[in-house]
Amino acid sequence: MDFLQLGSYSFSSRLILGTGKFSNAKVMLEAVRASGAQLVTVALRRFNRQQAEDDLFAPLSTIEGITLMPNTSGASTAAEAVRAAHIARELSGSPFIKVEIHPNPQHLMPDPIETYEACRILAKEGFLVMPYITADPVLAKRLEDAGCASVMPLGSAIGSGQGLAAAEMLSIIIRESNIPVIVDAGLRSPSEAAAALEMGCGAVLVNSAVAVAGNPPEMAEAFAGAVVAGRKAFRAGLMQKSGSALATSPLTSFLEAKA
Amino acid sequence: MSISPEWLTDDRDSAELARMLAPSSSSTLESLAAESKAITLRRFGRTISLYAPLYLSNHCSSGCAYCGFASDRNTLRRRLEPEEIGREILAMKKIGISDILLLTGERTKLADFDYLRRSVEIAAKSMQRVSVEAFPMSVSEYRMLAECGCTGVTIYQETYNRERYESLHRWGPKKDFLDRLETPARALEGGIKTVGLGVLLGLSEPLEDALMLYRHVRHLARRYWRAGISVSFPRIRPQTGGYEPPFPVDDHFLARMIFSFRITLPDIELVLSTRESGTFRDGMAGLAITRMSIASRTTVGGYHDPENNEKGQFDVSDNRSAEEFCNTLRSRNIEPVFKNWDPAYNGPAYGKNTEIHPEKLKPCH
Repeated sequence: MDFLQLGSYSFSSRLILGTGKFSNAKVMLEAVRASGAQLVTVALRRFNRQQAEDDLFAPLSTIEGITLMPNTSGASTAAEAVRAAHIARELSGSPFIKVEIHPNPQHLMPDPIETYEACRILAKEGFLVMPYITADPVLAKRLEDAGCASVMPLGSAIGSGQGLAAAEMLSIIIRESNIPVIVDAGLRSPSEAAAALEMGCGAVLVNSAVAVAGNPPEMAEAFAGAVVAGRKAFRAGLMQKSGSALATSPLTSFLEAKA
Repeated sequence: MSISPEWLTDDRDSAELARMLAPSSSSTLESLAAESKAITLRRFGRTISLYAPLYLSNHCSSGCAYCGFASDRNTLRRRLEPEEIGREILAMKKIGISDILLLTGERTKLADFDYLRRSVEIAAKSMQRVSVEAFPMSVSEYRMLAECGCTGVTIYQETYNRERYESLHRWGPKKDFLDRLETPARALEGGIKTVGLGVLLGLSEPLEDALMLYRHVRHLARRYWRAGISVSFPRIRPQTGGYEPPFPVDDHFLARMIFSFRITLPDIELVLSTRESGTFRDGMAGLAITRMSIASRTTVGGYHDPENNEKGQFDVSDNRSAEEFCNTLRSRNIEPVFKNWDPAYNGPAYGKNTEIHPEKLKPCH
């Protein structure tokens, strides 16, 4: 079997779902079920133990067969993310933590310095750390060395739907990585998810593309199919692309020339 | 008179907004709405974050010509005492509120910095997110508020037209235009995470105010790259004192202004309060606005004792209960979100003064 391996956890699904931005919890839960996702992320700030109707955590924890991965969205420093990770583990019991540190609440770009620091601490504490980062090949290796379970570079700006705009950097990260590379943001369509898997990504995380689709459960299912197809294609080995047509006068014909 | 800063009048950055707002604009309201809706959906999803205001005190030392709480109004003055604040907050929590905005008038002896700080401390014990809309403070005062768990400061310039500003603010500390203008920067300097800006529409020429408001946002965003910035669109409502707005803003211009802000500032939080009618608010949800107040009382107190007939700062237009409003949002396929923050992100304020995460956290080994 072909599993996504994160620490000691194996998942047969390579689609991870985000749970924000949905029109209501019922639609969100239907989308989670339809996606077949086994790993689902939820923001600590959307845990609401005082008001059941506003809480995303409790309804998710009733779904069989999924592992919850709390995230630290809202943290702007390493210290805040570490604190949030501790609270989230206490409340959810999950060993996973998705480290999201975006000090600028407008564009939500991850802070590489604070992220590295938080991941170093949390990995040492035994968390399965999944950092949201820009597609930076050096940072990805530093995080692998720090003990992260995966790296989660953005395909393009979060919520932008610009797809794999960072493909060039992603391909370097994938080539060099010994841990799964999970594209975390910017995907708009299932075909982009398939393309990420074809490139060799271990999984993709999708939220906006499903949550704001006309029919979120149906879109979740479409992504699930695309991810399976993309992974199969990667394993089967894609045909090499040809850069250009062959020249009619080969550049190396001089090698054949008789003296 | 000292000179206004250059960023306020430099029109290069705001040219796109100016084009959208100009009376001769080629963009139809419908096309702006469509673009604004697409951006809002992509960036914020199908959700609206909710908050509610709590008027702590209506004592005031300023003479704002348009305000029901100005110091020359013959209004019953009072402030909430700590036990009353506790009771109000309990009543607010019962309807689901976890994000609170604390309001006072201009600084007075009875409602001074220490009073406000104590109130923030009380609110931060049981609310997830606490912001204030009070009087301008110093950097060190803002730092103290942040350390007590205050994460947001709302401070409207009211109008960016300096002459109008100075004639409308007849006396008191608020008369100083430049001091007011620099207040959001001082709040951010002091470690406050989010500042809320706005103009009080109706006081001055709205196009000019909109452009300057936009420049203020851009100026702060460049200078404080970590700052959260939100923009509100308060429009003058009938209030104690019977002030007639000299530049009334109609629904069409307000809608155009809100859509244009969403398009030119795609990532920022746009806020609409219960000053506006239910119809306008319902229409704007999902098109541009991402944060709304609910079940607002504009009297001092009023949640614990809703029968209180005192005159508020202004008349609320959308009088629906929290439940009614949320049900309307839900029927429009939008999720009302009560908790969209966690005190874990309150920097050094966390754990000082909180009942939010009372459980003893196990050591993580």
